[in-house]
Amino acid sequence: DRDKAQAVCQDLILHDGCRQASKAFSLYANIDILRPYFDVEPVQVRTRLLESMVPVKMINFPQKIAGELYGPLMLVFTLVAILLHGMKTSDTIIREGTLMGTAIGTCFGYWLGVSSFIYFLAYLCNAQITMVQMLSLLGYGLFGHCITLLVTYNIHFHSLFYIFWLVVGGLSTLRMVAVLVSRTVGHTQRLILCGTLAALHMLFLLYLHFAYHKVVEGILDTLEGPNMPPFQRVARDIPVVSNAVLNTTAKANALTL
Amino acid sequence: MSGFDSFNTEFFQTSYSIDEQGQAYDYGGGRPYGRQYGGYEYSQQSGFVPPEMMQQQPYTGQIYQPTQTYTPTSAQSFYGSNFEDEPPLLEELGINFDHIWQKTLTVLHPLKVADGSIMNETDLAGPMVFCLAFGATLLLAGKIQFGYVYGISAIGCLGMFCLLNLMSMTGVSFGCVASVLGYCLLPMILLSTFAIVFSLQGVMGIILTAGIIGWCSFSASKIFISALAMEGQQLLVAYPCALLYGVFALISVF
Repeated sequence: DRDKAQAVCQDLILHDGCRQASKAFSLYANIDILRPYFDVEPVQVRTRLLESMVPVKMINFPQKIAGELYGPLMLVFTLVAILLHGMKTSDTIIREGTLMGTAIGTCFGYWLGVSSFIYFLAYLCNAQITMVQMLSLLGYGLFGHCITLLVTYNIHFHSLFYIFWLVVGGLSTLRMVAVLVSRTVGHTQRLILCGTLAALHMLFLLYLHFAYHKVVEGILDTLEGPNMPPFQRVARDIPVVSNAVLNTTAKANALTL
Repeated sequence: MSGFDSFNTEFFQTSYSIDEQGQAYDYGGGRPYGRQYGGYEYSQQSGFVPPEMMQQQPYTGQIYQPTQTYTPTSAQSFYGSNFEDEPPLLEELGINFDHIWQKTLTVLHPLKVADGSIMNETDLAGPMVFCLAFGATLLLAGKIQFGYVYGISAIGCLGMFCLLNLMSMTGVSFGCVASVLGYCLLPMILLSTFAIVFSLQGVMGIILTAGIIGWCSFSASKIFISALAMEGQQLLVAYPCALLYGVFALISVF
Protein backbone atom coordinates (compact mmCIF):
# COMPACT_ATOMS: atom_id res chain seq x y z
CA ASP A 1 0.00 0.00 0.00
CA ARG A 2 2.81 2.32 0.98
CA ASP A 3 4.79 1.16 -2.05
CA LYS A 4 1.87 1.99 -4.31
CA ALA A 5 1.61 5.47 -2.87
CA GLN A 6 5.33 5.91 -3.33
CA ALA A 7 5.14 4.79 -6.96
CA VAL A 8 2.29 7.19 -7.68
CA CYS A 9 4.21 10.01 -6.02
CA GLN A 10 7.33 9.32 -8.06
CA ASP A 11 5.30 9.22 -11.23
CA LEU A 12 3.75 12.61 -10.44
CA ILE A 13 7.12 14.18 -9.70
CA LEU A 14 8.58 12.82 -12.90
CA HIS A 15 5.74 14.11 -15.05
CA ASP A 16 5.78 17.49 -13.38
CA GLY A 17 9.52 17.80 -13.80
CA CYS A 18 9.32 16.87 -17.47
CA ARG A 19 6.61 19.43 -18.08
CA GLN A 20 8.51 22.21 -16.36
CA ALA A 21 11.73 21.36 -18.19
CA SER A 22 10.00 21.41 -21.56
CA LYS A 23 8.36 24.74 -20.70
CA ALA A 24 11.70 26.26 -19.74
CA PHE A 25 13.32 24.83 -22.86
CA SER A 26 10.68 26.21 -25.18
CA LEU A 27 10.98 29.59 -23.50
CA TYR A 28 14.75 30.04 -23.49
CA ALA A 29 15.86 27.94 -26.42
CA ASN A 30 13.36 29.56 -28.71
CA ILE A 31 15.32 30.27 -31.83
CA ASP A 32 12.30 31.93 -33.37
CA ILE A 33 13.51 35.26 -32.01
CA LEU A 34 16.29 35.08 -34.62
CA ARG A 35 13.85 34.37 -37.43
CA PRO A 36 13.48 37.94 -38.75
CA TYR A 37 17.23 38.25 -39.21
CA PHE A 38 17.31 35.40 -41.71
CA ASP A 39 14.59 36.64 -44.00
CA VAL A 40 16.60 37.63 -47.08
CA GLU A 41 16.63 37.28 -50.84
CA PRO A 42 19.71 36.23 -52.81
CA VAL A 43 19.77 39.59 -54.61
CA GLN A 44 19.94 41.45 -51.31
CA VAL A 45 22.83 39.31 -50.09
CA ARG A 46 24.75 39.88 -53.31
CA THR A 47 24.17 43.64 -53.15
CA ARG A 48 25.34 43.83 -49.55
CA LEU A 49 28.43 41.77 -50.30
CA LEU A 50 29.45 44.13 -53.08
CA GLU A 51 28.61 47.20 -51.00
CA SER A 52 30.84 46.01 -48.17
CA MET A 53 33.86 46.80 -50.31
CA VAL A 54 32.74 50.31 -51.20
CA PRO A 55 33.44 53.02 -48.61
CA VAL A 56 30.62 55.55 -48.31
CA LYS A 57 31.43 59.19 -48.86
CA MET A 58 28.64 60.81 -46.88
CA ILE A 59 29.57 60.67 -43.22
CA ASN A 60 27.45 63.55 -41.95
CA PHE A 61 24.29 61.46 -42.04
CA PRO A 62 23.92 58.12 -40.20
CA GLN A 63 24.37 55.38 -42.76
CA LYS A 64 21.89 52.53 -42.93
CA ILE A 65 23.13 49.13 -41.74
CA ALA A 66 21.10 46.08 -42.65
CA GLY A 67 20.41 44.07 -39.49
CA GLU A 68 20.74 40.70 -41.11
CA LEU A 69 22.59 37.62 -39.89
CA TYR A 70 22.46 35.21 -42.81
CA GLY A 71 25.22 36.87 -44.86
CA PRO A 72 27.63 37.36 -41.93
CA LEU A 73 27.09 33.78 -40.71
CA MET A 74 27.80 32.35 -44.16
CA LEU A 75 30.89 34.53 -44.48
CA VAL A 76 32.24 33.28 -41.15
CA PHE A 77 31.68 29.69 -42.24
CA THR A 78 33.38 30.44 -45.56
CA LEU A 79 36.35 31.83 -43.68
CA VAL A 80 36.44 28.61 -41.63
CA ALA A 81 36.45 26.55 -44.83
CA ILE A 82 39.23 28.68 -46.37
CA LEU A 83 41.32 28.36 -43.21
CA LEU A 84 40.85 24.59 -43.22
CA HIS A 85 41.85 24.44 -46.87
CA GLY A 86 44.92 26.55 -46.16
CA MET A 87 45.94 24.40 -43.21
CA LYS A 88 45.52 21.23 -45.22
CA THR A 89 47.50 22.45 -48.22
CA SER A 90 50.35 23.56 -46.01
CA ASP A 91 50.29 20.45 -43.79
CA THR A 92 49.94 22.50 -40.65
CA ILE A 93 50.02 20.29 -37.58
CA ILE A 94 48.07 21.47 -34.56
CA ARG A 95 49.34 19.61 -31.56
CA GLU A 96 46.80 20.67 -28.94
CA GLY A 97 43.40 20.22 -30.57
CA THR A 98 41.95 19.64 -34.00
CA LEU A 99 42.15 21.59 -37.24
CA MET A 100 38.40 22.04 -37.43
CA GLY A 101 38.13 23.17 -33.82
CA THR A 102 40.92 25.68 -34.22
CA ALA A 103 39.45 27.16 -37.40
CA ILE A 104 35.94 27.45 -35.97
CA GLY A 105 37.22 28.84 -32.70
CA THR A 106 39.34 31.47 -34.41
CA CYS A 107 36.69 32.72 -36.82
CA PHE A 108 33.70 32.68 -34.51
CA GLY A 109 35.80 34.02 -31.67
CA TYR A 110 36.86 36.96 -33.78
CA TRP A 111 33.37 37.68 -35.10
CA LEU A 112 31.57 37.46 -31.77
CA GLY A 113 34.37 38.74 -29.56
CA VAL A 114 35.40 41.77 -31.57
CA SER A 115 31.76 42.66 -32.27
CA SER A 116 31.02 42.62 -28.56
CA PHE A 117 34.14 44.63 -27.76
CA ILE A 118 33.42 47.28 -30.39
CA TYR A 119 29.78 47.39 -29.25
CA PHE A 120 31.02 48.03 -25.71
CA LEU A 121 33.31 50.81 -26.98
CA ALA A 122 30.43 52.21 -29.03
CA TYR A 123 28.36 52.29 -25.86
CA LEU A 124 31.16 54.19 -24.13
CA CYS A 125 31.62 56.57 -27.07
CA ASN A 126 27.88 57.10 -27.46
CA ALA A 127 27.61 55.74 -30.99
CA GLN A 128 24.25 54.87 -32.50
CA ILE A 129 24.56 51.20 -33.23
CA THR A 130 22.86 48.05 -31.99
CA MET A 131 24.49 44.68 -31.36
CA VAL A 132 22.86 43.01 -34.36
CA GLN A 133 23.98 45.86 -36.60
CA MET A 134 27.53 45.55 -35.27
CA LEU A 135 27.52 41.79 -35.88
CA SER A 136 26.21 42.39 -39.39
CA LEU A 137 28.77 45.12 -40.16
CA LEU A 138 31.76 43.12 -38.95
CA GLY A 139 30.47 39.96 -40.62
CA TYR A 140 30.23 41.64 -44.01
CA GLY A 141 33.67 43.13 -43.38
CA LEU A 142 35.06 39.60 -43.40
CA PHE A 143 34.28 39.39 -47.12
CA GLY A 144 37.54 41.17 -47.88
CA HIS A 145 39.40 38.71 -45.64
CA CYS A 146 37.85 35.76 -47.47
CA ILE A 147 38.91 37.07 -50.89
CA THR A 148 42.44 37.88 -49.75
CA LEU A 149 43.02 34.54 -48.07
CA LEU A 150 41.48 32.56 -50.93
CA VAL A 151 43.91 34.16 -53.38
CA THR A 152 47.04 34.24 -51.24
CA TYR A 153 46.74 30.71 -49.81
CA ASN A 154 47.01 29.40 -53.35
CA ILE A 155 49.48 31.85 -54.90
CA HIS A 156 52.48 32.10 -52.64
CA PHE A 157 53.92 35.57 -53.11
CA HIS A 158 54.50 37.70 -50.04
CA SER A 159 54.35 40.94 -52.02
CA LEU A 160 51.02 39.88 -53.53
CA PHE A 161 49.70 39.29 -50.03
CA TYR A 162 50.79 42.75 -48.86
CA ILE A 163 49.11 44.39 -51.85
CA PHE A 164 45.86 42.49 -51.16
CA TRP A 165 46.15 43.27 -47.46
CA LEU A 166 46.38 46.97 -48.11
CA VAL A 167 43.87 47.26 -50.95
CA VAL A 168 41.15 44.70 -50.20
CA GLY A 169 41.51 44.69 -46.44
CA GLY A 170 41.83 48.42 -46.45
CA LEU A 171 38.67 48.94 -48.51
CA SER A 172 36.51 46.81 -46.23
CA THR A 173 37.98 48.47 -43.15
CA LEU A 174 37.35 51.92 -44.63
CA ARG A 175 33.74 51.00 -45.26
CA MET A 176 33.20 49.90 -41.65
CA VAL A 177 35.03 52.94 -40.34
CA ALA A 178 32.98 55.32 -42.51
CA VAL A 179 29.71 53.80 -41.31
CA LEU A 180 30.79 54.06 -37.68
CA VAL A 181 32.02 57.65 -38.13
CA SER A 182 28.65 58.60 -39.58
CA ARG A 183 27.00 57.30 -36.43
CA THR A 184 29.33 58.86 -33.84
CA VAL A 185 29.57 62.43 -32.65
CA GLY A 186 32.81 63.99 -31.45
CA HIS A 187 36.35 63.69 -32.71
CA THR A 188 37.87 61.82 -29.78
CA GLN A 189 35.11 59.24 -29.75
CA ARG A 190 35.39 58.72 -33.49
CA LEU A 191 39.12 58.28 -33.21
CA ILE A 192 38.93 55.74 -30.40
CA LEU A 193 36.22 53.65 -31.99
CA CYS A 194 37.45 53.64 -35.54
CA GLY A 195 41.09 53.33 -34.65
CA THR A 196 40.43 50.25 -32.57
CA LEU A 197 38.27 48.63 -35.24
CA ALA A 198 40.73 49.36 -38.04
CA ALA A 199 43.68 48.04 -36.05
CA LEU A 200 41.90 44.83 -35.02
CA HIS A 201 40.53 44.14 -38.52
CA MET A 202 43.82 44.63 -40.35
CA LEU A 203 45.86 42.79 -37.74
CA PHE A 204 43.46 39.84 -37.90
CA LEU A 205 44.08 39.44 -41.62
CA LEU A 206 47.82 39.58 -41.03
CA TYR A 207 47.51 36.98 -38.28
CA LEU A 208 45.40 34.62 -40.42
CA HIS A 209 47.90 34.69 -43.24
CA PHE A 210 50.99 34.10 -41.19
CA ALA A 211 49.71 31.78 -38.48
CA TYR A 212 47.82 29.31 -40.64
CA HIS A 213 49.86 28.99 -43.73
CA LYS A 214 53.43 29.21 -42.57
CA VAL A 215 55.36 26.25 -43.75
CA VAL A 216 57.35 25.10 -40.78
CA GLU A 217 59.57 22.50 -42.34
CA GLY A 218 62.78 23.84 -40.92
CA ILE A 219 61.55 23.41 -37.37
CA LEU A 220 60.22 19.94 -38.15
CA ASP A 221 63.63 18.94 -39.48
CA THR A 222 65.40 19.87 -36.30
CA LEU A 223 62.83 18.04 -34.20
CA GLU A 224 62.94 14.87 -36.19
CA GLY A 225 66.65 14.68 -36.65
CA PRO A 226 68.74 13.93 -39.71
CA ASN A 227 66.95 10.72 -40.63
CA MET A 228 63.95 12.44 -42.25
CA PRO A 229 64.05 12.60 -46.05
CA PRO A 230 63.74 16.13 -47.41
CA PHE A 231 60.22 17.33 -48.36
CA GLN A 232 59.18 18.91 -51.60
CA ARG A 233 59.76 22.53 -50.76
CA VAL A 234 58.41 25.79 -52.12
CA ALA A 235 61.50 27.90 -51.79
CA ARG A 236 59.72 31.25 -51.48
CA ASP A 237 57.97 30.27 -48.27
CA ILE A 238 60.95 29.24 -46.20
CA PRO A 239 62.21 32.08 -44.03
CA VAL A 240 65.89 32.94 -44.18
CA VAL A 241 66.67 31.66 -40.73
CA SER A 242 66.04 28.04 -41.55
CA ASN A 243 68.38 27.99 -44.52
CA ALA A 244 71.22 27.50 -42.09
CA VAL A 245 69.31 24.66 -40.47
CA LEU A 246 68.72 23.05 -43.86
CA ASN A 247 72.37 23.36 -44.74
CA THR A 248 73.50 21.74 -41.51
CA THR A 249 71.03 18.87 -41.89
CA ALA A 250 72.07 18.35 -45.50
CA LYS A 251 75.66 18.23 -44.42
CA ALA A 252 74.81 15.77 -41.64
CA ASN A 253 73.00 13.55 -44.16
CA ALA A 254 75.93 13.66 -46.55
CA LEU A 255 78.27 12.71 -43.77
CA THR A 256 76.26 9.64 -42.74
CA LEU A 257 75.70 8.43 -46.33
CA MET B 1 -35.87 8.79 -36.25
CA SER B 2 -33.52 6.61 -34.30
CA GLY B 3 -35.22 3.58 -35.72
CA PHE B 4 -34.40 4.71 -39.20
CA ASP B 5 -30.78 5.28 -38.21
CA SER B 6 -30.34 1.76 -36.93
CA PHE B 7 -31.81 0.43 -40.11
CA ASN B 8 -29.44 2.59 -42.16
CA THR B 9 -26.29 1.33 -40.54
CA GLU B 10 -27.25 -2.27 -41.00
CA PHE B 11 -28.66 -2.44 -44.44
CA PHE B 12 -27.30 0.43 -46.45
CA GLN B 13 -23.60 0.07 -47.18
CA THR B 14 -23.25 3.30 -49.08
CA SER B 15 -22.94 6.75 -47.53
CA TYR B 16 -25.63 9.16 -48.48
CA SER B 17 -26.38 12.72 -47.65
CA ILE B 18 -29.79 14.20 -47.23
CA ASP B 19 -29.55 16.75 -49.96
CA GLU B 20 -32.19 19.21 -51.12
CA GLN B 21 -30.91 19.31 -54.66
CA GLY B 22 -30.42 15.60 -55.11
CA GLN B 23 -32.82 13.69 -57.23
CA ALA B 24 -35.38 11.55 -55.54
CA TYR B 25 -35.19 7.96 -56.57
CA ASP B 26 -38.47 6.26 -56.67
CA TYR B 27 -38.49 2.61 -55.91
CA GLY B 28 -41.18 0.37 -57.01
CA GLY B 29 -42.68 -2.29 -54.92
CA GLY B 30 -39.58 -4.46 -55.32
CA ARG B 31 -38.12 -3.53 -51.97
CA PRO B 32 -40.07 -3.84 -48.81
CA TYR B 33 -38.68 -0.59 -47.36
CA GLY B 34 -38.77 1.44 -50.54
CA ARG B 35 -41.80 3.49 -49.70
CA GLN B 36 -40.53 4.39 -46.28
CA TYR B 37 -37.37 5.92 -47.72
CA GLY B 38 -38.97 7.58 -50.67
CA GLY B 39 -38.47 10.96 -49.10
CA TYR B 40 -34.74 10.64 -48.84
CA GLU B 41 -32.66 11.79 -51.70
CA TYR B 42 -29.41 10.17 -52.59
CA SER B 43 -26.55 12.34 -53.70
CA GLN B 44 -25.02 11.27 -56.94
CA GLN B 45 -21.39 11.51 -55.85
CA SER B 46 -21.49 8.72 -53.33
CA GLY B 47 -21.27 5.21 -54.54
CA PHE B 48 -24.85 4.41 -55.18
CA VAL B 49 -25.69 0.75 -54.96
CA PRO B 50 -28.90 -0.16 -56.73
CA PRO B 51 -31.35 -1.66 -54.34
CA GLU B 52 -31.45 -4.93 -56.24
CA MET B 53 -27.84 -5.61 -55.36
CA MET B 54 -28.21 -5.01 -51.67
CA GLN B 55 -28.02 -8.14 -49.68
CA GLN B 56 -29.35 -8.53 -46.29
CA GLN B 57 -26.99 -10.61 -44.28
CA PRO B 58 -28.78 -13.49 -42.63
CA TYR B 59 -28.71 -13.24 -38.90
CA THR B 60 -26.80 -16.25 -37.70
CA GLY B 61 -26.35 -15.49 -34.07
CA GLN B 62 -28.46 -16.16 -31.07
CA ILE B 63 -30.41 -13.78 -28.98
CA TYR B 64 -28.48 -11.88 -26.33
CA GLN B 65 -25.17 -12.91 -27.80
CA PRO B 66 -23.30 -10.71 -30.23
CA THR B 67 -22.40 -12.31 -33.51
CA GLN B 68 -18.86 -12.75 -34.61
CA THR B 69 -18.51 -10.05 -37.21
CA TYR B 70 -16.34 -10.96 -40.14
CA THR B 71 -13.09 -9.05 -40.16
CA PRO B 72 -10.49 -9.69 -42.85
CA THR B 73 -7.30 -11.07 -41.36
CA SER B 74 -4.79 -8.26 -41.40
CA ALA B 75 -1.15 -8.56 -40.71
CA GLN B 76 -1.24 -6.09 -37.85
CA SER B 77 -3.75 -7.87 -35.74
CA PHE B 78 -1.98 -11.14 -35.22
CA TYR B 79 1.50 -10.22 -34.00
CA GLY B 80 3.17 -12.95 -32.14
CA SER B 81 0.50 -15.51 -32.67
CA ASN B 82 1.84 -17.44 -35.65
CA PHE B 83 5.21 -17.37 -37.33
CA GLU B 84 3.63 -17.34 -40.78
CA ASP B 85 1.42 -14.37 -39.93
CA GLU B 86 4.27 -12.04 -38.92
CA PRO B 87 5.09 -9.26 -41.38
CA PRO B 88 8.38 -9.43 -43.25
CA LEU B 89 11.38 -8.09 -41.37
CA LEU B 90 12.08 -5.21 -43.73
CA GLU B 91 8.48 -4.02 -43.50
CA GLU B 92 8.67 -4.12 -39.71
CA LEU B 93 11.91 -2.16 -39.73
CA GLY B 94 10.45 0.36 -42.14
CA ILE B 95 13.07 -0.20 -44.85
CA ASN B 96 11.41 0.13 -48.20
CA PHE B 97 13.87 -0.57 -51.01
CA ASP B 98 11.64 0.89 -53.68
CA HIS B 99 11.45 4.26 -51.92
CA ILE B 100 15.18 4.22 -51.30
CA TRP B 101 15.76 3.61 -54.98
CA GLN B 102 13.36 6.42 -55.97
CA LYS B 103 15.11 8.90 -53.70
CA THR B 104 18.51 7.79 -55.00
CA LEU B 105 17.39 8.42 -58.56
CA THR B 106 16.13 11.87 -57.58
CA VAL B 107 19.57 12.72 -56.24
CA LEU B 108 21.42 11.30 -59.23
CA HIS B 109 19.43 13.32 -61.80
CA PRO B 110 20.19 16.90 -60.81
CA LEU B 111 17.89 18.36 -63.43
CA LYS B 112 14.91 16.19 -62.59
CA VAL B 113 12.16 18.06 -60.76
CA ALA B 114 11.87 16.80 -57.20
CA ASP B 115 8.57 15.80 -55.70
CA GLY B 116 8.04 17.50 -52.36
CA SER B 117 6.30 14.55 -50.78
CA ILE B 118 9.11 12.03 -51.11
CA MET B 119 10.80 13.31 -48.01
CA ASN B 120 7.74 13.04 -45.81
CA GLU B 121 8.84 9.77 -44.34
CA THR B 122 12.09 9.97 -42.42
CA ASP B 123 14.27 7.21 -43.74
CA LEU B 124 17.70 6.96 -42.17
CA ALA B 125 18.62 3.53 -43.51
CA GLY B 126 19.75 4.88 -46.89
CA PRO B 127 21.88 7.71 -45.43
CA MET B 128 23.51 5.31 -42.97
CA VAL B 129 24.49 3.03 -45.85
CA PHE B 130 25.86 5.97 -47.82
CA CYS B 131 27.96 7.24 -44.89
CA LEU B 132 29.32 3.74 -44.39
CA ALA B 133 30.10 3.45 -48.10
CA PHE B 134 31.87 6.83 -48.01
CA GLY B 135 33.97 5.70 -45.05
CA ALA B 136 34.72 2.44 -46.82
CA THR B 137 35.95 4.16 -49.98
CA LEU B 138 38.13 6.42 -47.85
CA LEU B 139 39.47 3.30 -46.15
CA LEU B 140 40.39 1.87 -49.54
CA ALA B 141 42.38 5.05 -50.17
CA GLY B 142 44.25 4.59 -46.92
CA LYS B 143 42.41 7.05 -44.69
CA ILE B 144 40.75 5.58 -41.60
CA GLN B 145 38.37 8.45 -40.89
CA PHE B 146 34.98 6.99 -40.04
CA GLY B 147 34.85 9.14 -36.92
CA TYR B 148 35.37 12.34 -38.89
CA VAL B 149 32.63 11.38 -41.38
CA TYR B 150 30.05 10.71 -38.68
CA GLY B 151 31.09 13.69 -36.57
CA ILE B 152 30.93 16.14 -39.46
CA SER B 153 27.62 14.65 -40.61
CA ALA B 154 26.09 15.09 -37.18
CA ILE B 155 27.30 18.67 -36.71
CA GLY B 156 26.43 19.60 -40.26
CA CYS B 157 22.90 18.20 -39.93
CA LEU B 158 22.43 20.12 -36.69
CA GLY B 159 23.59 23.35 -38.32
CA MET B 160 21.37 22.90 -41.38
CA PHE B 161 18.43 22.00 -39.13
CA CYS B 162 18.79 25.28 -37.21
CA LEU B 163 19.26 27.31 -40.38
CA LEU B 164 16.31 25.78 -42.24
CA ASN B 165 14.04 26.21 -39.24
CA LEU B 166 14.97 29.88 -39.17
CA MET B 167 14.57 30.41 -42.90
CA SER B 168 11.41 28.48 -43.74
CA MET B 169 7.82 29.34 -42.95
CA THR B 170 6.95 25.82 -41.88
CA GLY B 171 9.45 24.09 -39.65
CA VAL B 172 11.40 21.01 -40.58
CA SER B 173 12.23 17.96 -38.52
CA PHE B 174 15.75 16.83 -37.80
CA GLY B 175 15.12 13.43 -39.37
CA CYS B 176 14.08 15.02 -42.65
CA VAL B 177 17.23 17.17 -42.79
CA ALA B 178 19.46 14.21 -41.93
CA SER B 179 17.73 12.07 -44.54
CA VAL B 180 18.10 14.62 -47.36
CA LEU B 181 21.73 15.44 -46.56
CA GLY B 182 22.55 11.75 -46.29
CA TYR B 183 21.04 10.90 -49.67
CA CYS B 184 22.84 13.77 -51.37
CA LEU B 185 26.17 12.40 -50.14
CA LEU B 186 26.03 9.87 -52.97
CA PRO B 187 28.06 11.87 -55.57
CA MET B 188 30.75 12.41 -52.89
CA ILE B 189 31.15 8.62 -52.81
CA LEU B 190 31.96 8.79 -56.52
CA LEU B 191 34.63 11.39 -55.77
CA SER B 192 36.27 9.33 -53.06
CA THR B 193 36.15 6.25 -55.31
CA PHE B 194 37.99 8.26 -57.93
CA ALA B 195 40.49 9.33 -55.25
CA ILE B 196 41.45 5.69 -54.62
CA VAL B 197 43.08 5.42 -58.00
CA PHE B 198 43.98 8.99 -58.98
CA SER B 199 45.28 11.83 -56.86
CA LEU B 200 42.91 14.76 -56.64
CA GLN B 201 45.51 17.40 -55.98
CA GLY B 202 46.01 18.55 -59.53
CA VAL B 203 43.97 20.90 -61.72
CA MET B 204 41.71 18.06 -62.91
CA GLY B 205 41.14 17.10 -59.30
CA ILE B 206 40.12 20.62 -58.35
CA ILE B 207 37.68 20.86 -61.28
CA LEU B 208 36.19 17.44 -60.48
CA THR B 209 35.87 18.27 -56.79
CA ALA B 210 34.17 21.57 -57.53
CA GLY B 211 31.76 19.85 -59.92
CA ILE B 212 30.85 17.13 -57.41
CA ILE B 213 30.35 19.67 -54.61
CA GLY B 214 28.08 21.67 -56.91
CA TRP B 215 26.12 18.53 -57.84
CA CYS B 216 25.58 17.49 -54.19
CA SER B 217 24.54 20.93 -52.99
CA PHE B 218 22.29 21.51 -56.01
CA SER B 219 20.41 18.25 -55.38
CA ALA B 220 20.09 18.89 -51.66
CA SER B 221 18.85 22.44 -52.14
CA LYS B 222 16.43 21.30 -54.84
CA ILE B 223 14.84 18.75 -52.49
CA PHE B 224 14.73 21.21 -49.57
CA ILE B 225 13.14 23.90 -51.73
CA SER B 226 10.42 21.58 -53.00
CA ALA B 227 9.75 20.07 -49.57
CA LEU B 228 9.61 23.40 -47.71
CA ALA B 229 8.10 25.59 -50.47
CA MET B 230 10.85 28.23 -50.35
CA GLU B 231 10.81 29.61 -53.86
CA GLY B 232 13.56 31.99 -54.89
CA GLN B 233 15.87 30.98 -52.06
CA GLN B 234 17.56 28.00 -53.66
CA LEU B 235 20.95 29.71 -53.75
CA LEU B 236 20.65 30.68 -50.11
CA VAL B 237 20.03 27.03 -49.17
CA ALA B 238 22.59 25.66 -51.61
CA TYR B 239 25.51 27.68 -50.22
CA PRO B 240 25.57 26.18 -46.68
CA CYS B 241 25.12 22.72 -48.22
CA ALA B 242 28.10 23.48 -50.47
CA LEU B 243 30.19 24.41 -47.43
CA LEU B 244 29.24 21.14 -45.69
CA TYR B 245 29.99 18.99 -48.71
CA GLY B 246 33.18 21.01 -49.20
CA VAL B 247 34.40 19.76 -45.82
CA PHE B 248 33.65 16.19 -46.89
CA ALA B 249 35.55 16.82 -50.12
CA LEU B 250 38.46 18.15 -48.06
CA ILE B 251 38.58 14.80 -46.24
CA SER B 252 38.55 12.95 -49.56
CA VAL B 253 41.20 15.03 -51.24
CA PHE B 254 43.76 15.45 -48.46
